[in-house]
Amino acid sequence: MKDLLERLNTKYNLTDIKYQRDNLVFLTIGKENTIDLVTHLRDYEGFTHFVLLSCVDWIEEGKFQLTYFLNQPERKYDIAIRTMIDRDNAEMVSAHHLWRQITTYQRELREMYGINFPGSPGVDENFILEGWDDIPPMRREFDTKQYSEDTFFPREGRKTHDPASYMKEKLYPTEPTTDKVNKTDE
Amino acid sequence: MGKIKDILSPFTAWGNVVKEPVTIKKPIGREAAPRYRGFHKNDIDTCIGCGTCEVICENEAIDLVPVDGIETKDGDSGLRPMIDYGRCCWCALCVDVCTTGSLTLSNEYTWVSEDPDEFRFIPGVDKKSWDDNEKGWKKPEPNYEFYGKKRVEMPELHAEDRDKSFIEFVTGYSKQQAEEEADRCVECGICTATCPAHMGIPEYIKAIRNDDLEEGLRILYETNPLPEICGRICTHKCEDVCSVGHNGDPISIRWLKRYIADQNPSEKYKEILNAENIENNGKKVAIIGSGPSGLSAAYYLALTGYECTIFEKLPEAGGMMRYGIPEYRLPYDQIDKDINYILSLGVDIKYNVNIGTDITLDKLKKDYDAVFAGTGLHLGRSTRIPGSDHENVYFATDLLREISLGNEIHVSEKIVVIGGGNVAMDITRSLARLQNNKFGKVNVTATSLESEDIMPADREEVVEAREEKAIIDPGWGPTSIEIENGKIKGLHVQKCLSVFDESGRFNPKFDESNTKFFEADMIVESIGQGMDVEYISEEIREQIEFDQRGRIQVNDYFQTGAKWLFIGGDIIQGPDVIHGIANGHKAAIGIDKFINQNG
Amino acid sequence: MNNLFNWEPDRSKYPTVKDNGELDVDLSSHKFTKLWVGPNHPGITGNMAVEITISGDEIVQAKTHVGYLHRGFEKLIERRLFIQGFPTCIRMCVAEPDYNEYILSKSIEDLSGIEIPEMAEWLRTLALEMARLQSLLRTVPGQGGTFSLGLGVQWGMYLRDLISDRFEELTGARIYHMYILPGGVRGLLPDGFKARMEENLKLIDQFVINIKKLMFDNVIFKKRAIGVGVIKKEWVDQFGIVGPNARAVGISRDIRKDYPYLKYQELDFEPPIAKNGDIFARSTVRYQELIQTVDLIRQIMAKMPEKGDIKSPTPNVLHWKIAKGETYIRSESSRGEYGMYYVTDGSDKPRRINLRGPSYNHAMSLLEHMLINANISDVHAIMVSLQTCPPEIER
Repeated sequence: MKDLLERLNTKYNLTDIKYQRDNLVFLTIGKENTIDLVTHLRDYEGFTHFVLLSCVDWIEEGKFQLTYFLNQPERKYDIAIRTMIDRDNAEMVSAHHLWRQITTYQRELREMYGINFPGSPGVDENFILEGWDDIPPMRREFDTKQYSEDTFFPREGRKTHDPASYMKEKLYPTEPTTDKVNKTDE
Repeated sequence: MGKIKDILSPFTAWGNVVKEPVTIKKPIGREAAPRYRGFHKNDIDTCIGCGTCEVICENEAIDLVPVDGIETKDGDSGLRPMIDYGRCCWCALCVDVCTTGSLTLSNEYTWVSEDPDEFRFIPGVDKKSWDDNEKGWKKPEPNYEFYGKKRVEMPELHAEDRDKSFIEFVTGYSKQQAEEEADRCVECGICTATCPAHMGIPEYIKAIRNDDLEEGLRILYETNPLPEICGRICTHKCEDVCSVGHNGDPISIRWLKRYIADQNPSEKYKEILNAENIENNGKKVAIIGSGPSGLSAAYYLALTGYECTIFEKLPEAGGMMRYGIPEYRLPYDQIDKDINYILSLGVDIKYNVNIGTDITLDKLKKDYDAVFAGTGLHLGRSTRIPGSDHENVYFATDLLREISLGNEIHVSEKIVVIGGGNVAMDITRSLARLQNNKFGKVNVTATSLESEDIMPADREEVVEAREEKAIIDPGWGPTSIEIENGKIKGLHVQKCLSVFDESGRFNPKFDESNTKFFEADMIVESIGQGMDVEYISEEIREQIEFDQRGRIQVNDYFQTGAKWLFIGGDIIQGPDVIHGIANGHKAAIGIDKFINQNG
Repeated sequence: MNNLFNWEPDRSKYPTVKDNGELDVDLSSHKFTKLWVGPNHPGITGNMAVEITISGDEIVQAKTHVGYLHRGFEKLIERRLFIQGFPTCIRMCVAEPDYNEYILSKSIEDLSGIEIPEMAEWLRTLALEMARLQSLLRTVPGQGGTFSLGLGVQWGMYLRDLISDRFEELTGARIYHMYILPGGVRGLLPDGFKARMEENLKLIDQFVINIKKLMFDNVIFKKRAIGVGVIKKEWVDQFGIVGPNARAVGISRDIRKDYPYLKYQELDFEPPIAKNGDIFARSTVRYQELIQTVDLIRQIMAKMPEKGDIKSPTPNVLHWKIAKGETYIRSESSRGEYGMYYVTDGSDKPRRINLRGPSYNHAMSLLEHMLINANISDVHAIMVSLQTCPPEIER
């Protein structure tokens, strides 16, 4: 694994290399070289099993992280290739020609995150969400709870009480207390 | 041949025709496994309505609702969980996290009702057929915890290292220890109601977890301007009701408070607490006594822009905190840290001024817009048993004050302390240290009317006193002090059977046949203190209301019948520091209202 | 006779191929029929649909449709505390909920550096193998079911119910076990569990013999399964084929062997493989695995200690925070590599979780490819032989 990375380092500019386990390494590479590296690993290093293509939304940084998971079945190790792309007008080079299932992944990412993969077959077709008219739902700013509150109507009559504020109301309504809300987030 | 076999072999299945069917004949009514996760049960007498089940529920299926007949009181919010079975997924996380262990699941899984609203009910309150079902999911045991059950131990000096000196023996949490302890909190907030000052306890504990101690300090000062002091000697009523304490050690709320105060340097207080520019509103308030209530009132008044002047009888500020609590529990520099910050807000303090003799209350009334008096309980009470007028019979408060003033006190080889409260423990442990220094050994016995289980002193005080080789022998009522040739020989006691009668009044019963004699050449009485309000003139006194037992009556804002005079602290509530702080805060709000209405 | 059974469709006349390489399927030409198999069809495994275009009774185009069961679990778990994830994630594949629990819990443990007690490792291994057994008891005879051989399915379902009974007493539930949680498991074996399990395993031993006579020594089954739905060896990498589907073409890949987790290193087993890659080969591999799983459960019960801690201490679950990090945890479900990509960002909730289910590849790109030129009567057989589980596609 170490010598493989040394070999790759001479060809590619790899950053943020992190060994999560002895046989699983995460690394970051620039957007323009990603598919090149994936192809190289498949054709020359025996990473023939494509595990997963995933996306992480780093909304604070305005970036999507695409993660390509490749597995080397002979030597039994994995490389996860991270690449950061802009969140606005997100677009990535398609890799559907490398493995057949990538078409499905790219369709899903298009639908769930709004990332475009020009040239990927059927990338604009509905995958899971037929007739969806909101923003791509896996984006961090999409609030599932808010959506369900706006879309559906809860059964009437539920009301809960926060123990601390209820006790204040019952036992010492006029006395000074700290004005912080008692409960943490949510 | 293979083909023939392949045609014939499936027909072997016909053999099943003559077999007994395996179908369950009556599937409805089949009892589920003993561990099955069925409908909820709740032991509502054990439940305290802490709401932890509601917080952990990933489906928001639980609401906390008030229940008729369950009273909201210290340590019990009066709320009980209501489950919405339209949302419940029977994961039983609520059971596993339940702080009291009251919530369980039964192994009943069939129930039909035509009314959908019935599927939202309060287990244990709305009676169900499975309420008495013994089987069902319970929290797995042992070593299966969702939060730490054991308190992070507070590092202390060993008894041998501490029993000779008055240096602070509790060394304080480190960052890691504090964060680990803070992690145990479940943030229910039950404690806030019990704290006399209603401090934002879960909030400042959260600040520790987030390592945001400046925010922690801000939260402390919202309700308590003496965190260093309270962080050391508070009676921590909050810990008695802590929900985590029901199945494990309660959170060390007091030590965590101390941790926040300790970690913030005093020179940064003003900046952190955003108190650099306070606008003076031109109004003046006089405060008599610089104990917790006086300081607290001064702090909150000063924050609002009042010009406060504190009149203190003794040469230094702090009242009982300085002159009643021994240094090994509360070092003077920590008292100074809290007080100096209050003074830095523009509060003026005049030492060695005795109200009534040096300056009259009437003069204060004239010169100031309002007066707050937190003069405390400083007069020792006597047992009035024969011999108690001997010169070597002392009051604990007097001795403690003298020690703090740096004066030498009389210490003899054999001492008996009468009393079982915190003051009695303080003097016992102080005397033990002095004996150790003077004679190289300890011989001090504390005896109280109350038996060990109902002794009013904090448990750890008793334990630590024993570690320091003092003898604590509770459950005896003093009858007389034996004096021979003008010298004390010892104390006669008789067994105390009960302290309170059935209606809860103080009415001790004794077994006169069971007596004991404690040898001593010095006796200290520590059975309570009285107030000294000589400084209030007859004229003013007539406006103030007293109850039958001579206690001063005040309204919610600690205002007396003389509208300009506010009284708080030990005289009204307590006695302890945290009540004083709460009184002072409330009185400050009352004074603000009073002055604004007048003006 | 042979010609009749090995009949290949004549594609020389139609469908014609357009200049851009796409098939020219013109529905108005009356040469083609569009047919929906599912979502409401008894032959469909779960909630999905296959849209097929047929010419005569052969398929010229196929398209998998999912989205009938999308509940957004990955998104929901992103909005929940770490401890709240495991009761939610189990629904991502109902047939084998324990694998969801395991990979989620293991991801959390991996990222926060928690080691679980040995007893918990054994119990997890047991739960996972029981889940595999349950799944195979349904799938192995289920393959016969697609050829209208319903009897074996009845047998399997009965035995599956018995294993549900065992799950019920071990975990407190029959389907959604919620047994494996971050830090360990939620209970020791109840008294007498091993004896009752052994009784069930004996019944399964008999079932294994019966099902061989009913299904595998059955001329109809053989005729329908042999040579149908062939997966070529080179497809394994091209389509990301895993698990029994890959082993049935002779590629021995098994996460339990290749990347040992839990207690699999201490167990004695060799993943079965077959060569031909057709429905019969896949069925045989699963049949062998069923026998092996029974053996593994016996091994586990014999080797596991009687007592021990079931859970390691964790931070207070109500405000458990995990530093920024990411990991991938895989396990071998009865369908193949079942993995989870887990990303944390230092807060008390995960930033992203992504399930890698085998059906994501098998039922989408692979099935669409395999159905072309297949006979309409084999659609279900091919689909079931891939052991698809639609919930893990759309989560």
